[in-house]
Amino acid sequence: MQATAARPLDPAQIRALGVLLVAAQLPLVVHLPIWVAAFGLFVAGLRFALLRRDGRLLRTRPARIPSWALALFAVAIALALRKSYGYFVGRDPCVAFLFVLAGIKFLEIRTARDGTLLACLAMFVALTPFFYSQSLLGGLAMLPAIVAAGVALEALARREPGATDPSMRSAWTRSASLIAQGLPIAAGLFLVFPRLATPLWGLPADHAAQSGLSDRMAPGSISELSLSDAVAFRVTFDGPPPRPADRYWRGPVLSLFNGREWRALPPRPGGSLARGDRPIRYAVTLEPDDHRWLFALDLPSSLPVADSGSVASSGPVASLARDLQLVTRTPLTRPLRYVQESILGTRHPVASADELRIDARMPPGNPRAVAFAQALRSEHPGDRDYIATVLRWFRDQPFHYTLQPPLLEDHPVDAFLFDTRRGFCEHFASAFVVLLRAAGIPARVVTGYQGGEINPRGGYMIVRQSDAHAWAEAVVDGQWQRFDPTAVVAPSRIERGLYGSVPASDPVPLFARGDSGWINNVQLALDAINYRWRRNVIEFDHDRQRTLWRNWGLDGFPAWQAAAVAMAAVLAWAGAVFAAFAVKRRRGERTARLWNALCRRLARAGLPRPAWEGPIAYASRAAKRWPQFAIAFGAIGDAYAMLRFGPVSDDERSALVATLARAIEVLPSPAALRATAHT
Amino acid sequence: MTAAVLTWTARLRQRAFRSRPADRAPVVLRHSRIYILPTRRGFAIIATLILMLLTSLNYALSLGLALTFFLGGLVAAGLLHTFRNLAGLEIKPLAGGEAFAGEPLAFSVALAAGAIARRAIELRAAGVMASVSLVPYATQAIALRVPTQARGRIALGRITLSSDQPLGLWRGFAYVHFPLTGVVFPAPELNAPPPPAGAEGAGERTAGASADSELAGLRDYQPGDPLQRVAWKAVARGAGWFSKSFEGSGGQGTVELAWAPLPAALAVEARLARLTAWVLACERAARPFALTLPGVQLRPALSREHLREALTALALFDADTR
Repeated sequence: MQATAARPLDPAQIRALGVLLVAAQLPLVVHLPIWVAAFGLFVAGLRFALLRRDGRLLRTRPARIPSWALALFAVAIALALRKSYGYFVGRDPCVAFLFVLAGIKFLEIRTARDGTLLACLAMFVALTPFFYSQSLLGGLAMLPAIVAAGVALEALARREPGATDPSMRSAWTRSASLIAQGLPIAAGLFLVFPRLATPLWGLPADHAAQSGLSDRMAPGSISELSLSDAVAFRVTFDGPPPRPADRYWRGPVLSLFNGREWRALPPRPGGSLARGDRPIRYAVTLEPDDHRWLFALDLPSSLPVADSGSVASSGPVASLARDLQLVTRTPLTRPLRYVQESILGTRHPVASADELRIDARMPPGNPRAVAFAQALRSEHPGDRDYIATVLRWFRDQPFHYTLQPPLLEDHPVDAFLFDTRRGFCEHFASAFVVLLRAAGIPARVVTGYQGGEINPRGGYMIVRQSDAHAWAEAVVDGQWQRFDPTAVVAPSRIERGLYGSVPASDPVPLFARGDSGWINNVQLALDAINYRWRRNVIEFDHDRQRTLWRNWGLDGFPAWQAAAVAMAAVLAWAGAVFAAFAVKRRRGERTARLWNALCRRLARAGLPRPAWEGPIAYASRAAKRWPQFAIAFGAIGDAYAMLRFGPVSDDERSALVATLARAIEVLPSPAALRATAHT
Repeated sequence: MTAAVLTWTARLRQRAFRSRPADRAPVVLRHSRIYILPTRRGFAIIATLILMLLTSLNYALSLGLALTFFLGGLVAAGLLHTFRNLAGLEIKPLAGGEAFAGEPLAFSVALAAGAIARRAIELRAAGVMASVSLVPYATQAIALRVPTQARGRIALGRITLSSDQPLGLWRGFAYVHFPLTGVVFPAPELNAPPPPAGAEGAGERTAGASADSELAGLRDYQPGDPLQRVAWKAVARGAGWFSKSFEGSGGQGTVELAWAPLPAALAVEARLARLTAWVLACERAARPFALTLPGVQLRPALSREHLREALTALALFDADTR
C-alpha cells in the first residue's frame, strides 16, 4: 500500500487532476478579488505549461519548483490576503487562501498521495462558490467539476500508464455514466438527509461588503444603490397587488442627523400594529443582505411568520420596533420567506413622547436652510399649512430629479436647496425633514423600496435595489404622516418607476427600464425560473423537509422503520444498476449463443471447428466448402471476430450482432448443407 | 458440544478466510466470497465528503449538499462497479510448476472473464503479485512466480484476487484457496565432479565432463531413440527424421547414480545437490541413468518422465526415513 501511495504520477494523471482543479476553481473566480483569481489560475496554468514543456523536451527529470519556494509563496499569499481583507481568520480570506493553496499544491504534485490530497482540496473548492451565490447558473457551473472528479479519480486509479479501457468510451462519458448511476442516491439523500434547524457552530460574522439599504444615509448613498439591478426581494400577493403609488416598502427609519448623514436609532420595542379591515396578505422572499430588518408594505398589521409551506410552524421571525421597523434577532445570512399582512395607510400614531423629542432635534449647520425655514414658519404658523407650503415650494422651484446629482461639500442641505437643486430621493427627503425640524415639527427619514415590477410569467412581484427610495414622516395632529417630496418633484417616479422619471442620459440599470422589449421579456422569464429554483432547491430547508416528510407520512416514523426503508431503497437502487448491467451482458451473451449455434450446425453438416481455430479461419474454410454462401460466411467471420476481439462502441455492437444474426439466418439446414458440400 | 461449536466456528472461519485449501476447480466469484472495503484514497475522499456535508449543513447551502450528494452518488456507483469487476470472474488452477531451489517457481491459474471486461485484476499469493485485464469472454493463464529457497513440495497457498477499479476508492477482494502445489528440486551443485562412469565402456571415458557431447553425425531415427537426440532442425526442414549420434557416448552406457557411494563427509543436502547435478549432466549427455536413494530405486532410463521422477525423488527425499 505504501508503495502505491508513493507511486509517481504520469503526465496524463496530472493533467486530469489539473482539469478537476480548474473546473472547481472557475465558478469561484467571480467571487474573489481579481488578483487572487488571476494568481490561482496562473499557478494552475503554469503547471500545464511545465507539463507541455516536459513532454516536448523529453527530459529525464521533469521541471520542478522546490517545495520551500512554494511554502514561501503560500506564506506570502496569506500575508497579502491579510492585508487585502484586513483580517485572515474568517470565511472569505480562508476561501481565497484555499483557492490559491490548491493551485500551489497542483504545482508540486508528484506522487499518488499528492494526487489524492489535491482531489480532496479541489472537491472542497468546488463547494465554496455556494457561500456567495446559489443561483441556477452556479448550480450548473458545478457540474463540470463533478464529472471531472470522476475522470481524475479514474485516472489516479489507473495502473499502467496510457492503458485504455476496452469499452472505448471516453473517460468523460464513463464518469458521467457513473454519476448518472449514482443520481438516485444523490436525489434520495437530498430529499431525506436531515437538515439542521440551527447551525452547528456559530457562523463567523463576515465583514463582506453588504448590498442593499443600510442604517445610514448620506447624499449619494441611495442613488448609488439605484444603479444595481440586483433583486432585493420577491413578493407573492394573496389577492391583487396594490396600486404602484401604494407600494411603499418600509425599511430602516433614520432619526439621527449630524448635518450631513442620517442614522437609525437602535431598535426599541413598542410599535403597535395597524388595525383595519381587509388587510393585504403576501409572502416576501428576501435575499440575505446581512441586515436585521425585514420589509413590509406601509403599514404592517401583523408580525412576519416564516413560510415553510406548512401551517405556521413557528412564532414570528421578527418583532416590531417603535418606529414600525420589523427587526430580526440576528442578521440575515440565508434567504428568508415570510408571510406578512399590511393595511395600506399613510398615518399611524406616535408611540411615545420620547420620539417627539428625538425627531425634532436639529444639529448645527446648514444655516441658510434653518433661516429659510424659520422665515417661512413665521408666515405659516399652522403645521399643515407650513408643510403644504414647503411641498409647494419644492414643486415650484426648478428642482431636478436625477441619478447623477453634483457633489455637495459643506452644509449639503443648504447647497442642495439653494445652489445645485439637482438631487435624488435622499436629497429631497433629507432636505424636507431638515426644513420641518428647523420649524419645530418632529420629522424623520424613512428608507425602503418604492415600487416593484409584476412578473407576468410567475405571478409575483420583483423589487430590485434600483427601487430603493427615501421618503419622510412628520407628526401632524399627533400622528405620524407620510410625505414624499420626491413625488412632488417627479410624480412619475412613484407611478412609473425610476426609468420614467430621471433624464434619459442617466445610467439607469437595464432592468429598471421597464420598456426594453424582448430583453425585458427574456429577463422576466429567467427571473421566473430563478424564483422557482430558489423556492424548490435553495430554500429546501429543515422546515420544508419536515413538511415533505409529513406529506409522505414519514414524520414520526420509528428510527428502525426509517432505517429499513432506507435499506430497501439502497438495495432497490443496487438492483436497478445491476439490472442495467445485465441488459448489456445479455447483448454479449447473444453473440456467444449465435456463434455456438452456428458451430454446432456446421459440425452436423460435416465441418466441425477445432478448438484452436479462430473465427475468420473457420469461416473461410466453410466458405471454401460451401462457395455459394461465401459472402454470408465472410460476414459471419468478420462480425464475430470484431465482436469478440475488436474495439466496438455500443452502437456498433448492436449493428454487428444484427449482421451476425442475419448472416446466420441465410444458411440452410445442416442436412441441406451436407448435401451441397463442395469438396 | 465443544467439538460441535469448534467445527461450526471452523466452518465459519473457512468460509470467511479460506484458510484451508478446500476449493475445487473452477471457482466463480460470487457475492459470498467478495469483500469490499474503502482504500486509503476512499477514506480520504469520504472524509472530505463528510467535511463538505457538515459545512453545507451548517451554512444551509442547498447546492453544497447537492454537490456533496452528487459526489456521494459517484462514490456509491464506484462501489457497485468494483463489485461487478470481480463478480462472475472464474478462476481455475492450471498447474503447480517445478523449479530448482533459488529459482522462481511458476504456479499457473486461468482466469475467465465471462461476458464483461475485467479491469486490472490483481492476484496475490505467497508474497507475489500479478495483474491482468481481460476483454469479454477472454480466458487467460496467469503465472505467479513464487521465489523458492529450499527443496521440497511447496503449496501456493491462498490466492487473493483484488481490484480497486474503476475509481480506486474501493478495494474488492476475494480469497480462493486451491490445493495447488509445486515441487522445488534441490539446487544442483556448482562445479560438481563428473558423474561416475557408466557400466559399459567406462575405460573409454576421460575425466572431461564434456567429452561425451561431441556430435559425431546423424543416423536414421529408429523408434525408441530418446527425443533429446532427434535432429529437430532436420525435421523442421522436412528432411525426415534423424537422430544425432555422439562421439564417446559410450554406446548408451548406463550411469549408476547412488546415495551410498558418495563420500561420507558430505552432508545430506550436499549429497542431494551433487546427485542433482549428476542427473542433469546425464540428461544433457543423453545417457541413461539409474538412481538409488535410501528407500527409492529408479531403474535406468532416459526420458523426460524419468528425469522428473528422479528430480522429484531428490526433492522430496526425507533424510529421516532412510
